[in-house]
Amino acid sequence: MSTIDTNRYNTLKPASTSYWLTLAVLLVLVALGGYSAFNMEHAGHQISGMNNQIVWGLPHVFAITLIVAASGALNGASMSSVFGLKRCKPFARLSVVLAMTLLVGGLIVLVLDLGRPDRLVVAMTHFNFKSIFSWNIILYNGFIAIGIVYLWVMMEPRLNRYTAKVGAFAFLWRFILTTGTGSIFGFLVGRNALDSALLAPLFIALALSIGTAAQVFIFSATARWQNSDLPESMVFAQGRLLLWFVLAVLYFAVVHHVTNLYLAEHQVVERYALAGPMSPVFWVGFVLIGTIAPIVLLFRGGSENKRCRNLIFASAVTILGGMALIYTIVIGAQSTPQRLFPDKTVIASRFGDAGFELYQPTAWELGLGIGGVAMAVLMCLILLRVLPFTPEPESVAS
Amino acid sequence: MPSNSDHFNSGQARRRFLKQLGLLGTAAVTSSYTLLEVRKANAAASPAVTNTKRWGLLIATDKCSSGCDDCVRGCNEEHGLTSSGRDEIDAQWIRKIDLQDKLSGRKSSLPVMCQHCESAPCVDVCPTGASFKRADGVVLVNSHTCIGCRYCMMACPYKARSFIHETLTNQLAVAPRGKGTVESCTLCVHRIDAEEDQQPACAVACSDAGHGAILFGDLNDAGSEISQKIAAQGATQIRSDLELNTGVRYTGI
Amino acid sequence: MRDSFASVRSVNATGSALKGRLSKAITAVLFAITALLFVTSSLAGDPGPVIPKGQGDECVADTAFMRRNHMDLMVHQRDDTVLEGIRGAAFSLSECVDCHAQKDEQGKAIRVDDKGQFCQSCHSYAAVKIDCFSCHAAVPDSSDNTAGLRPLPNKDSVTAGHSAEPDASPVAGLGHSLADQIKGHLQTDAQ
Repeated sequence: MSTIDTNRYNTLKPASTSYWLTLAVLLVLVALGGYSAFNMEHAGHQISGMNNQIVWGLPHVFAITLIVAASGALNGASMSSVFGLKRCKPFARLSVVLAMTLLVGGLIVLVLDLGRPDRLVVAMTHFNFKSIFSWNIILYNGFIAIGIVYLWVMMEPRLNRYTAKVGAFAFLWRFILTTGTGSIFGFLVGRNALDSALLAPLFIALALSIGTAAQVFIFSATARWQNSDLPESMVFAQGRLLLWFVLAVLYFAVVHHVTNLYLAEHQVVERYALAGPMSPVFWVGFVLIGTIAPIVLLFRGGSENKRCRNLIFASAVTILGGMALIYTIVIGAQSTPQRLFPDKTVIASRFGDAGFELYQPTAWELGLGIGGVAMAVLMCLILLRVLPFTPEPESVAS
Repeated sequence: MPSNSDHFNSGQARRRFLKQLGLLGTAAVTSSYTLLEVRKANAAASPAVTNTKRWGLLIATDKCSSGCDDCVRGCNEEHGLTSSGRDEIDAQWIRKIDLQDKLSGRKSSLPVMCQHCESAPCVDVCPTGASFKRADGVVLVNSHTCIGCRYCMMACPYKARSFIHETLTNQLAVAPRGKGTVESCTLCVHRIDAEEDQQPACAVACSDAGHGAILFGDLNDAGSEISQKIAAQGATQIRSDLELNTGVRYTGI
Repeated sequence: MRDSFASVRSVNATGSALKGRLSKAITAVLFAITALLFVTSSLAGDPGPVIPKGQGDECVADTAFMRRNHMDLMVHQRDDTVLEGIRGAAFSLSECVDCHAQKDEQGKAIRVDDKGQFCQSCHSYAAVKIDCFSCHAAVPDSSDNTAGLRPLPNKDSVTAGHSAEPDASPVAGLGHSLADQIKGHLQTDAQ
């Protein structure tokens, strides 16, 4: 009996026009994304900046950010179901909805960037169980199914006693899912920049940091639209979590690079990553904007309003920094040529064996990526109006 | 006591069941009839390939010169690989690489194509199984099931695979290829399957031009020319540290 | 309170009887329209797809069988060929194209998936989109359609003569640097 959720939830009834404005902007972005996808499918990838050297481009960066954020966003629900923190309970449903919509948005970008998106059915019916990519397809679909079951047991009072078990299962599932996403890169034997088991835990840390940042956005947005504020304890707790997760990401990134610097065979790749033409993305994007800035913002004290604003800024830059890191992992690794002959220099080759390739994304890829993000947020905001996921301000405050 | 309507209903149900059974039976018979027809018509077809043979290439790089790309031209013309105008999105089933040794400064040149590895990373990572290894060791892309995810291109250590970035219209019948799928050297299976003693286009082009750098043969047959040459001179794999056991071997690098 | 509910219920009761009759009427109208659609098409004298005749006396199997089963045959055949290297079988797509492709007045082969041609005429009638010829050759392989593609180079072609006209070769677009290298080498290493 004590497990029954006594918080009150409702469908989102926004008290301000900013909700509708946001919806309108998102619709425009989704339309642009759809147009980009149509063009890429119709004309082929020749209109994009991707080629035979840079095979995975900006859409993949966006997709991976979304998928990784989805896994981390579920943390809000795990806090209460798995770790027993009752004060996080009101936001559990919001977290699950956000997680599911972020994942679907990421998958949409991924599928639309396929060379043959019309063959999605083939992907769903032909599995190669030696492929981590294939496993990921199963894990992603399972995530959505588990999300639905999770919401169901949370929303049906008679099933509330199963919330802890389902929550634990969801926690385990998303850990495996994010490990799988990181392993897509970690399993690549042919690429020096990626061939590392460290990428799996790095992605777990990234998921937690970007996911928490995404949560902050949705929690404060729903609070704002209900003309209330997030409680002080909530702001403090989210801020601390975000700080620790950002530090965790930094830890794994540092260990990855330091280890690579130590190994002779990775020298070329590391020199390119840390001092090459694309290194500003790492140093400015990830280190400065994505790590130092949120740490500084989150350590600052001040009035409650200031702390809330700092938290939101910190969340924004964390997401940007996470994207920058994913950019260097995905695209940086492809820019460096694969070294077929380690003890020789390549004088001439027509297939990019010689020098580094600079990736020049086109508007179509950017459109597709942003369209996916917009689709995820749009779905989330619409779902919030359909079913009672949003906690009422009184429940939040208590 | 069953009423008249109950009798009527159970009769209806029985009729429905028999009708469905009949349809199911007809479908089963029809589909097996189709397969029987196929087997009858295909009696003259060649047998399936087995792992008795393992096809491979031996490339003598000392016979390759930096300016020569006969093998590339031979492959391109055999398969109808035309240029889109942009190097970076063109198909590259085989390419020439010019090298210089870091220590000695010695220059060399060699062609690189799909190495047809025994433990091919591209086969491991393909989510649909479109990238697969045939029983006779040839690594291929089944373009019917390829979804164009390009994961195999990320995974290949030899950068052997190309993605088709634009709509194609002038394909040759021996080399079906289309936008949105991945492709690579097929060891000219359309030639080597067809008859005995057929060679891949690159080997033919090279020997016709008088260089004789590319030798094709059965690695499983100790008496074949390629096996004898490898036994006599030794041969190396590119990136042998990866232990992929490639079917393409080189001398002179 | 209860009375108003009762009155609402009674209105609903008559409403549902009305709804029943209405739905029966709608169903009848839909049936009539569907039936008319089936009948009027033949009344209008729809000839069905006009399929150009292929070469030779007959197909590898009779028309009715092919009409019904060609999709299954192709799906089965392609797996045999691609996955197991079985070739020379009866139901080969390229052989279908060889026989069924038509030629225009100049003698140039027309794609079988062009309007009015063998595959397309039936498929556009049946509104089933086919994907085969995004990859497969829609014309028979012959020297006509391989305009610009030359046969495999022989010893003679690796001479200065060949390199003097690099732009004629369709593969000239490939290998700008290598083509230049070849030209340079061939001019300096004159036999």
